[in-house]
Amino acid sequence: MPSVSDEVVIVGIGETQVGKLPGYHSVQLQAWAVQNALADCGLRTKDLDGLINLDPYVTPNSMFSSTVAEYLGIKPRFLSTIDVGGTVTAMTMLQQAIWAIESGHCEIAACVYGENSLSVRSTGAHGLDMKNLLGGEEWEDPFGVHGLLTPYALVAQRYRHLYDATDEDFAEVAIVTRRHALNNDNAQMKKKMTLEDYMASRMISSPLRLLDCCLISDGGGAVVLTTRDRAEKMGCRYVRVCSMAMRSTHNSIVQLPDIENFGLADAAQDAFDAAGFDASETQVALLHDAFTISVLITLEALGFCEPGQAGQYMRNGHASMGGRCPVNPHGGLLSQAHIGGMLHITEAVHQLRGTAGRRQISGARRAVVSGNGGVFSVCGVMTLEAT
Amino acid sequence: MRANNFKAILPTLSVDSIPFWEGCDKESLLLQCCNECDKYFYYARRLCPHCGSQNMVWKVSTGEGKIFSFSEVCISFFGPLWDDQLPYTVALIDLQEGPRMLSRLVLEPGQQPKIGDRVDVIFVEVQGKKLPFFKL
Repeated sequence: MPSVSDEVVIVGIGETQVGKLPGYHSVQLQAWAVQNALADCGLRTKDLDGLINLDPYVTPNSMFSSTVAEYLGIKPRFLSTIDVGGTVTAMTMLQQAIWAIESGHCEIAACVYGENSLSVRSTGAHGLDMKNLLGGEEWEDPFGVHGLLTPYALVAQRYRHLYDATDEDFAEVAIVTRRHALNNDNAQMKKKMTLEDYMASRMISSPLRLLDCCLISDGGGAVVLTTRDRAEKMGCRYVRVCSMAMRSTHNSIVQLPDIENFGLADAAQDAFDAAGFDASETQVALLHDAFTISVLITLEALGFCEPGQAGQYMRNGHASMGGRCPVNPHGGLLSQAHIGGMLHITEAVHQLRGTAGRRQISGARRAVVSGNGGVFSVCGVMTLEAT
Repeated sequence: MRANNFKAILPTLSVDSIPFWEGCDKESLLLQCCNECDKYFYYARRLCPHCGSQNMVWKVSTGEGKIFSFSEVCISFFGPLWDDQLPYTVALIDLQEGPRMLSRLVLEPGQQPKIGDRVDVIFVEVQGKKLPFFKL
């Protein structure tokens, strides 16, 4: 069972504005997020001796950790750039930071994600252009599949076939997530969504409509970790990572297993076993919601409900504010912003330390964060706890 | 859509896949089969992904399969030049020999695919290259 040291904790979180931020490149966005995360816990850039970041997908760049370190004016003892996929990238950053701090390679590390996915793309373009050798050039492009949207549509169609799921099941995820986003001032989407809005949104790749799809965003998010001792001395409220586990079953849609064989349930089992609690004992869930289908499958894989029941679970209000375990109170990738899932982690920290403002879930002590990169290719589950 | 109107981004071949695409040009769907574990696999590579053996052989597939999932693509991910392709249908197909492959369906007017439908390979020529699409 993969264990996580409880001697390293999260002390600071930061997010930038999200949406369209012309003129900002990934360097400025990542620096901005780090500055905010440091300010959040009363540290300065000179305190930072570890930096872990993402190489931006839309503008791939070599040596991106030293690029951002140089811009910040720091000389870290530990640097790394991570790309595992989706929110699992952010989880893996935290895992590496914990290892690096625990083993004495650094004392204060920032994990940061940020890129200008929205403003960098050409006018009229659809989807997000990501390079992936096996997924792209040879086995997908010749058959008219490019990017991640159609692959997720294939998963969604399969889900509908297996469980007789309906438009209403998918719509509920979009509508609840939008309602949550309206409680978040830093969200791209500001308007209420109804079932009629959902049904009227145009089909993109059946059965996925426009409102089944996440946003494309400029922005950044960062998390600062240090030792528990240091956190105590700093006198700031901190949050502990209880466990993290991942599974990779494939990469491209070409090698997609059936839904019951995705790695998410196994990762969840490992993460919950290591944490000593399960989904029913968490008060907030931050689920990677690149598409509505992702949330339905994840609720089932994590054990919130039985396979095929996620639509009903959502309609019963269990994932809404005031329900059993609210999902994505910040508005998620669907309605806040898609910052690679880093804002799922910053939101978990907000909720557990009671700084989520008007979207605060009272009594939130334990959180689960799930992620997947590719098409459920790499799945990860992380649990966190208030201290 | 008539078969001669198809657009496609042609594959970038690797050392592994030359026999596969040469097979397509001869209207033959070739799959690698492992001599040690007797399993077929797709896509082409230098080892058997089931057992790691490097002892494998190319065999001609029946080209028959069943639809595992499908999607009707309604917007172009390849820019405005592809607008005349819309909508088109892509599918994950479980081949009779075992492997799952991604391809595109060639549908007659009014044909509506379902998961589980039987499909057969059909080679469609695009810019001088034959691509393994499927028909109901």
